[in-house]
Amino acid sequence: MNSRERLLTAIDHREPDRVPFDLGSTQVTGIHVLAYQGLREHIGLPPAEPRICDAIQQLVLPDQDLVERFDVDVRGLFPLNSHNWRIVNADVGDAWEYTDEWGITHRRPKPDGLYYSIVRSPLEGAALTLDDVRSYGWPNTGDPRRIAGLQEQAMEYRAQGKAVMIKGVLAGILEMAQRVRGAEDFLADMAANEVLACAILDKMLELKLTFWEMALPRLAGVIDVVSEADDYGTQTSQLISPRMFRNLLKPRLKILFDRIRQLAPTARLFFHSCGNVRPLLPDFIELGVDILNPVHIRAGGMEPSGLKRDFGGEIAFWGGGVDTQEVLPFGTPQQVKDDVKRNIESLAPGGGFVFSTVHNIQADAPPRNIVAMWEAVWEFGGYARP
Amino acid sequence: MTDLRELLTAIVEGNAVRAKELVQAALDEHVPPEDLVSRWMIPAMTEVGARFERQEYFVPEMLVSARAMQAGLALLKPLLAQRAVRPVATVVIGTVRGDLHDVGKNLVAMMLEGAGFQVVDLGVDVPAARFVQAVREHQAEILGISSLLTTTMPQMDAVVRALVEAGLRERVKVLVGGAPVTDRFAAGIGADGYGENATAAVRIARNVLGLTEGR
Repeated sequence: MNSRERLLTAIDHREPDRVPFDLGSTQVTGIHVLAYQGLREHIGLPPAEPRICDAIQQLVLPDQDLVERFDVDVRGLFPLNSHNWRIVNADVGDAWEYTDEWGITHRRPKPDGLYYSIVRSPLEGAALTLDDVRSYGWPNTGDPRRIAGLQEQAMEYRAQGKAVMIKGVLAGILEMAQRVRGAEDFLADMAANEVLACAILDKMLELKLTFWEMALPRLAGVIDVVSEADDYGTQTSQLISPRMFRNLLKPRLKILFDRIRQLAPTARLFFHSCGNVRPLLPDFIELGVDILNPVHIRAGGMEPSGLKRDFGGEIAFWGGGVDTQEVLPFGTPQQVKDDVKRNIESLAPGGGFVFSTVHNIQADAPPRNIVAMWEAVWEFGGYARP
Repeated sequence: MTDLRELLTAIVEGNAVRAKELVQAALDEHVPPEDLVSRWMIPAMTEVGARFERQEYFVPEMLVSARAMQAGLALLKPLLAQRAVRPVATVVIGTVRGDLHDVGKNLVAMMLEGAGFQVVDLGVDVPAARFVQAVREHQAEILGISSLLTTTMPQMDAVVRALVEAGLRERVKVLVGGAPVTDRFAAGIGADGYGENATAAVRIARNVLGLTEGR
């Protein structure tokens, strides 16, 4: 069984030979450059010039030697977007800043800021009108240069027996709307100015469709998983009410997912939302989501055995392998192993589980803990054969 | 006569324009500003908090209510200052150094203001020394520290230690918040409390000062 067969078997809710393992195939199952460099050194790999695939989160594309050492089953395609393209950093004294193709300004504090955060959004402020939204200089998401070379790369991965997944070029419809409008202004619009909120959401949907309609006709034959994302959950609850999700987001997700399935009928649909999204899982399933990520097991309502019991027959879990908010950064290697064992026991039976950390491995994860995690996946991730 | 129950409704429903109109109308009718705040506006935000806890309200609804409260409060603040009306207490709040996240922190600040606290918001990426300086300068009763990242949580510890070094730790209650923060973490760094959301933050702020409901 090769990596691709292993992954597809698991996603289709059957037990492969062992739990498939992902590290670094998306911008939500990745690793921070500092953790990556520390890990390479710890396991005796030579220093490598980091290939940043997401400047905002400072994620690296893991090198060939490391993905081979860790038997990573999936390879990611990273189309060019505001996180990895045309990033012109300016030194602004106490920070580094860049303004991306959306007109959003990101800032990383000096001397040792680990990430970029948004400090200015182009459409913020009380005076925004529908005309401003329509006439804004939106990026051309249908530019074929965004996927230059990805088809060849995908074919090479497939020839190696690896599963291939692709992400889009903008964050989720709700998340991107918050980025361009400013999070507070957009969330307030949703409650107080629905017409304006919908105009922005529609624009985000349109820009997503434009990208997929350009990319998938060229790539559908060589990819296995299409990744989409948004963020509806918080640590304890949801950012917006389930009712608001159903009114404002779900109809737009339906248009998006239906179109993706039409353009890439054999690809599995991976959907990321952090936080407690338990009340929304029936909606995700109804929308045709095949895979949930990151399975935020530490958030309210997201206890893994309960999720498996209630939804495991209908959705596969890609994530939830180890907690990254406490155990991986601050626990002992033994605590990491215990957490991995518990989560595999909860999520793996019957298939429907791809191991990855809950969201990206951050800079504070000690390399010994990452190694302990990986060892535990091998120790506990095998499916017993009768 | 302005029916001030409408002011309460306008805030609960997040209608900033109406809230501002009603506050102005009441002022024109010589209603004392401190009455507007204590009898109508704080109870409105208390109701908003209750709806949030019952999961009838989520962040968008809470934000527009807080903005409506602030629209009314903007008219009242200069008058309250003139009349030397004392706030419930003074809170200095900010996000720790290296962390630029502020939506949650802003919501906490707005809800505290909605509960009658005076809030000094230091913004994001705040070094420990600036927290200390602001606590001293504003004689704050409470310091609220926010961190959204596991990688910046240790900065909270640094702030608490800086307060100790400055000899201010006994004079101020320290509250912490942010997605990865827990009660256990708060206790570990010697903070006085942790709130898992903006309404919990208000409740805990009142608790650590020994204030009973309804003051």
